[in-house]
Amino acid sequence: MAVSESRIDHLLLKDEIEQFLYQEAELLDERQFEDWLDLLTEDIRYWMPMRRNVKFGELDREFTREGQDINWFDEGKDTLVRRVNQILTGVHWAEEPLSRICHSVSNVQVLKATPSVSQATEVNVKCRFMIYRNRVQTETDILVGKREEVLRSVDGQWKIAQRKIILDQNVLLAKNLTFFF
Amino acid sequence: MAEVVNVRLLKAGDKLKISHEATVVVVSNPLDGVWIFARYLSSLEDPSLEGTEDMIFAQDIIEVLEISGN
Amino acid sequence: MATKTKGRFVDGLVDLKSGQISREIFVNEEIYAEEQEQVFTRAWLFIGHESQVPKPGDYFVSGMGEESVILCRGRDGALHVFLNSCRHRGMKVCRYDEGNTPVFTCPYHGWSYATDGKLVGVPFFKDAYHEKLDKSKWGLVEVAQMEVYKGSIWATWDPAAPPFTEYLGDFKMFFDLTLEAWNGTDEPLEVIGGVQKWLIPCNWKFPAENFSGDSYHNISHRSVDMVGIGPSGTGRRDTQERADSHRLQVAFPDRGHQTGIYVLPGGSPTAASYQQSPEVADYFREAEEKRRAVKGEWGRVTGSPGEIFPNTALHPRQPRSIAVWHPRGAHQTEVWRWYFVDAGAPDAVKDFLRQYYIRYSGPGGLTEQDDMENWNYAHSASRGTIARRHPYSYEQGMGSEQTNFELDGLKIPGTVMDLTEARSSEQNLRNFYKRWAEFMDAPNWNELAGWR
Repeated sequence: MAVSESRIDHLLLKDEIEQFLYQEAELLDERQFEDWLDLLTEDIRYWMPMRRNVKFGELDREFTREGQDINWFDEGKDTLVRRVNQILTGVHWAEEPLSRICHSVSNVQVLKATPSVSQATEVNVKCRFMIYRNRVQTETDILVGKREEVLRSVDGQWKIAQRKIILDQNVLLAKNLTFFF
Repeated sequence: MAEVVNVRLLKAGDKLKISHEATVVVVSNPLDGVWIFARYLSSLEDPSLEGTEDMIFAQDIIEVLEISGN
Repeated sequence: MATKTKGRFVDGLVDLKSGQISREIFVNEEIYAEEQEQVFTRAWLFIGHESQVPKPGDYFVSGMGEESVILCRGRDGALHVFLNSCRHRGMKVCRYDEGNTPVFTCPYHGWSYATDGKLVGVPFFKDAYHEKLDKSKWGLVEVAQMEVYKGSIWATWDPAAPPFTEYLGDFKMFFDLTLEAWNGTDEPLEVIGGVQKWLIPCNWKFPAENFSGDSYHNISHRSVDMVGIGPSGTGRRDTQERADSHRLQVAFPDRGHQTGIYVLPGGSPTAASYQQSPEVADYFREAEEKRRAVKGEWGRVTGSPGEIFPNTALHPRQPRSIAVWHPRGAHQTEVWRWYFVDAGAPDAVKDFLRQYYIRYSGPGGLTEQDDMENWNYAHSASRGTIARRHPYSYEQGMGSEQTNFELDGLKIPGTVMDLTEARSSEQNLRNFYKRWAEFMDAPNWNELAGWR
């Protein structure tokens, strides 16, 4: 059976995107924060809404709104750089000593490719994450959820232009969010 | 046996047969899946109820007689 | 005048003569259990803000101590605060966070309550109860007192507690710094949608004392000052007006409320602020000018963190936020944080503030993160048998407090520490614990209302 070219193109693109996301997770897990910042576009939007328990039929009110409500994160490149800089001072006590962390990325779906799958310069991606964070002696957080992102090719290198982090929690069960999703 | 009604889905104007030989029309639905606010159209057991309004419990609904056009 | 409370806590575990407080009050589970009775059933607790429940049927599920309560606006517009527990068999009658409803119905047996708490729906009332159940006795448990103060909503379970404004006493003018519009008027505030809720592994009194006026822990926030998240691009907030001000701590011993304030010398120009955005900078410059006109000499006073006893923390200026430290056992606290803006501010101003607040406070906030790390490990390091034998030191500045304090023609009420030279004092922390000890020892409000 002949496999159509577009199926192969899709497979290749998905693999490329997955490898990129794994490479990104590697940088964060290995604490190479400045290299991680280089994977973000200058106009990146990085935000994480909060979630409410709402009545059936009112699910449009489940999430806090982008650009209007209080969210867990609502960042651009500038504030993400400052967050990294704070860790790198070595005196940000919430991250000193540094946490041990492991980002697991899965369920990667390439939902849309512009202008085409074979010539993609921008892709819409959805995936799942499981972040295991352990710090000091026994302090452990496991945060699980989804990410909706837009990746853009800049000078032949994929970069993250938008990341919406959908955490599956209402009351946050971690004492802080000193790490990146 | 009549199928179990999802009370959440009832709308104002729906007509119901309820226990104690009465019929009611739905006035409003609090959407709790347990109660509806209704007005008595007829009550064989207690005719003084006719025209009055009350909360009707889901388990007292025997049958949906008519779905309103709304 | 009420007799001075004295017992296990006053002059005991809380020894303000020596300035030493036992670690037991933070880690001991029996003391925690007593505290739920002695403090949280008798004090006034923050519930929410009017802007969260504007229309009849609107509700917001809040907390009082360990317990879930429903703040609801009834059909007639009146506000109510109820225990979120069915009177029949206890099930929560509302497991949603907020919304609008005509009734609260329990999913267990179907009992249903109106928005004023009255029991209105009882399944099989005729058939099973023979209409004998007295519904009027089985409404949702309502708080003994509730008050709205400048949009903020407060409640207490204790009918003997003094009315809220009396509970505040002279602290009122300092609480106003959080509640008034930026221009010093009573124009309304609104809560930015979304109350942050998160768990921290420490006793609630660690954050409560911190916000009471821990003027000593700036070293902990050095990293955020270095990276600069402030609204003018440096530090963590605009500091010019603080640099020009006298820095004071103000405490009210009878009430247990305390705060820091900054007092500008008369004739000081308005310091530039919010320089990262010209539109926002203009908004605040105009607001500040109006504030000084409206408040006269008192316009020279700006707020810094404070605490209303027992567990409501105020951030009046940058950022503007109220937090409640809900006890969740001796070793855990659930923080709820509300953020405020002027309801009438332009969208660009609200958005700027929103983003500033998020990066300052909360679990994603670069400042609050370090506070929580300290509270976490201070608590856990204090749980051991040996650690508990060694009290904490609260001696800083003991004996230096002043009353009838006057500065540049302003008479500041309460007891005051001038930190301009001293740089730090633990007066406010001692004040918080003094009141806590009194609550723990006192049998009733007769003993607690010493000012009467």
